[in-house]
Amino acid sequence: MKRLLLLVFCLSIMGALWATGTTEGDDGPITIKFWTHEDPARTEIEERYIQEFEAANPGVTVERVTNSSKKVPELLLTAFAANEGPHFFNTQIEDGYAYIANGRVAPIDAQAAGFTSDSALINAYVDGVLDPVSVGGDVYGLPLELTNWAIYLNKRIFRDAGLDPDADYPRTWEDMVEVSEAIAIRDGQILTRRGYDFRYPYYLVSLIPMVEQLGGQLISDDGQTAIVGDEAWLKVLTFMQQWGPNGMNLGSPTYTNARKTFNQDNNDIAMALSGLYQAGRIRNDNQEFYDSGDWMVIPYPQFEDAVKEVGALYYGHYYMVNIQVPEREQKMAWKLIGYMLSHPEEYLDRVGLTQPTKALMASKTFLSTPYADVFAADMERSHIVYYAEDSARMQELVKEAVEAVMLSGESPEKALASLKVKAQELLDQQ
Amino acid sequence: MRGGIERKMARWGVAFVMPAIVFFTLFSFYPIVSAFLTSLTSRKILSLLKPDFVGFRNYGYLLSSSDFWNSIRATAVFTLGTFIPLLIFSLVIAFFITGMKRGQRSMQLAYYSPAILSSVVAAVIWLSILDPRGLANQFLNTLLGIQGVDHHWLASSVMVQFSTILVYFWKYIGYFVIIFITGLASIPPSVYEAATIDGASRWQSFGRITLPLLRPTIAFVSIMSMLQCLKTFSTQYLFTQSGAPGAPINVITLNIYNTGIRDHLIGRASAMSIILFVIMLGFTAVQLRVSGGDKVSY
Amino acid sequence: MYTPVTPVQKIAHYLVVTLLIIGAAAVLVPIVFMITASAMPAGDILAMPYRWIPRGFHVENFVRAIRGNDASFIFLRNLLNSFIVASVVTLTTVLLSSITGYGLAKFKFRGRYLVFLMIMATMMIPFEAIMIPLYLVAVQLHIQNSYVGLTLPFLVNAFGVFLMRQYLLTYPQEYLDAARIDGAGEIWIFRTVVLPNCIPVIATLSVITFRTQWDTLLWPLLISQSEKMKTVPLYIVKFAAEKYTDEGAMMAVALLASIPVVILFLTMSKYFIGGAAVYSSRKG
Repeated sequence: MKRLLLLVFCLSIMGALWATGTTEGDDGPITIKFWTHEDPARTEIEERYIQEFEAANPGVTVERVTNSSKKVPELLLTAFAANEGPHFFNTQIEDGYAYIANGRVAPIDAQAAGFTSDSALINAYVDGVLDPVSVGGDVYGLPLELTNWAIYLNKRIFRDAGLDPDADYPRTWEDMVEVSEAIAIRDGQILTRRGYDFRYPYYLVSLIPMVEQLGGQLISDDGQTAIVGDEAWLKVLTFMQQWGPNGMNLGSPTYTNARKTFNQDNNDIAMALSGLYQAGRIRNDNQEFYDSGDWMVIPYPQFEDAVKEVGALYYGHYYMVNIQVPEREQKMAWKLIGYMLSHPEEYLDRVGLTQPTKALMASKTFLSTPYADVFAADMERSHIVYYAEDSARMQELVKEAVEAVMLSGESPEKALASLKVKAQELLDQQ
Repeated sequence: MRGGIERKMARWGVAFVMPAIVFFTLFSFYPIVSAFLTSLTSRKILSLLKPDFVGFRNYGYLLSSSDFWNSIRATAVFTLGTFIPLLIFSLVIAFFITGMKRGQRSMQLAYYSPAILSSVVAAVIWLSILDPRGLANQFLNTLLGIQGVDHHWLASSVMVQFSTILVYFWKYIGYFVIIFITGLASIPPSVYEAATIDGASRWQSFGRITLPLLRPTIAFVSIMSMLQCLKTFSTQYLFTQSGAPGAPINVITLNIYNTGIRDHLIGRASAMSIILFVIMLGFTAVQLRVSGGDKVSY
Repeated sequence: MYTPVTPVQKIAHYLVVTLLIIGAAAVLVPIVFMITASAMPAGDILAMPYRWIPRGFHVENFVRAIRGNDASFIFLRNLLNSFIVASVVTLTTVLLSSITGYGLAKFKFRGRYLVFLMIMATMMIPFEAIMIPLYLVAVQLHIQNSYVGLTLPFLVNAFGVFLMRQYLLTYPQEYLDAARIDGAGEIWIFRTVVLPNCIPVIATLSVITFRTQWDTLLWPLLISQSEKMKTVPLYIVKFAAEKYTDEGAMMAVALLASIPVVILFLTMSKYFIGGAAVYSSRKG
């Protein structure tokens, strides 16, 4: 009997050893898995940083996995649901917030990330940009980019329509309607050239500021009420109704994405909403157009009777580290993140991504980047996009309301009433 | 002695199907049982907390949700609108192709060609075609002899449903045509020869010989096409991603995806999956019975 | 084959052929669109009215398709992966489906209808529902990021079993009985009597399986983590990644990615057409 017990004991020890055999000791080699979205220009520089990092840290291997930006959130969710998430990843704050809320990511190790202290880290960034990833005094993410959108304008099309781009560019939404009507060319009901068109599915970033200009809000300041300010909402919904195919027919979500066709300079769209990174895309897609200087960037328009000035809201990609990996690997992950992020000027120059550090915003690289000033000025009068566990659903509800008035011929009053009920219900579920 | 042979044969039968049973248990039944258990909880996808057991409350919520009933409606419209034309057209086309003297291969290849495209690419192509400036409007306007009318292929709630059906029909027609051609090929030509000698016309032989002999294939194609339609996802997903209004084409699978992945409510999404599973199971059982696809004899 | 005799039959025949050709042409329009668009710069693709004949061959599309956005030429490796995975899956599907279909169609044992229904039921499981449990299985088996992981969940499918069973239901029992009376073993009967007579349906199943596998997106997306283990659909999705779309190059990728399936179909199609001959020769 004793012998049997001993045997069982030995076996279970061996089993335990075998089970832990896959996790290395304190100084064994480690592999850091890093998931991110596809962006060729970024891949190029980050692969280089990783090589440098691996050379400086023997025993560390980095596996950088890229997927399309639409698929990354889904992959992360599945992997985390199976408790098999990568060591670290970057994602939009709207998607990323849930990882903080559910305790899936670790607070930043400031020293590992290359800062002397927690406060040095916080001070390195522009005020407020770490707020979305700060909970209970801890910071959970470092921004890879902070992006707001402004309007790219094609001067050739303006001149072709008899407009002077420098004098006639739209400053208000009312101007926008007028200018777009002047530029629009139609074959019957079909628009073959549009002035401006919206960036449709991204309502939280690009439609909410219109509401806010008129004094409305998506969520009240106390976080209790959804869809505040009926008049503002009605005016924006009516504006969208008038914009659509059943109104003045200036654009619609079912036309090809405005910013995709913009780069082609194919005489089909004069203005599109996009971030600072778009300039690099133009250069990549159409060098001739980029060099011609026949494009420029103008601020996000305001309503004529706006009660406050609001630019397009900004959103960020933050790096976060999986809390389920061993502490030593977490440290190494922060070290790598810190190393990669320590090249903000190259990110800006080569990829068009703006890291919101005080140093970068004051640097010559930033100030000499064409139109960076337009984006910076717009960002001054803007704030971060709505982020919460339910933000994707909230955006869907706004989308439904806009589609109802633009495409299905519903009245703005009715669409608003239904939006209010659904959004409130969603908010109350939290 | 006879009983001994039957037992031996039965053992062989079990041996032949055993690998498949093991396989499906691991990769289909275990996951679906797991999904069913999840459907009885309030699990959120990222939560590390042990989820609350809520019994059938997720099911109760769904059955009283107008959003879910809209998905049932969208799925029903899409399924009926797609699978009936698919069944009829693929049978007729297959029958006519096998009657051709020349060019059978090129015909088959032509009808099957949409299947060679990756679905991502098919979506890109169709989105260009259905764009207000695209070929769909140009073509229809030329056909009707009118100018500049936008038919709102993706924008209006009626047309967008039609467009999803059109894309699906296009993609799967060749697939079922070749299955029918295989089925037709399995009918011995001697049967037709006998009929021709009896003086039966082609239409008569179609009704009297082809259809009854094709019953297993028809049962097969109708079940397959219906299940495919009930499971449709990518077309609707890509359309909604590209600006089409969501509500008219929010089929159940799309709703499952959005509820589980976008809204993180994996318990509720699992309940929806189980409901879809039961619906499909019911339809298949009915179809198997009605078509009597199991009994054929020459 | 059918031969029209009377003038009325002749007219009807030509009418039918004409209708078939119109139908085929309609089905082909989007394909022709893809082929012509792959030779155009992205700006021309959106032109209205559409220019069916490209203004020249925009070779950059194909260069970019093969080089990739990051000049890694990973497309070729991904193409090879897709080919390996689809071939393995096709092979095992044909083998396991025919064994199982045969067992279900031609043997009587308790619960065989239940087994059949259970296998059928797997067709009704929405992938979204089992994505996470299935991923857990893969994690436990340590098969992420490998060919095993890419192929294992697809070794056989209910569609194949169903197709083979339906086909074999019509297979005359007398041939099997005759072989058994001659003293043939069961495996020998399966290999030399049953399988050769299934060639048309096996050809169909192979084409369909290969094509479906070639296009599988969601599972490889979850399971392949390194660029080297990705398959063609993943490459296309990544290529189409939101901020970086060049539709001309997309169409070129699509065209290149379709070639293996076209070749497969062209080589296999003679078996569907020849199917009737196979059947009748068996009787001789």
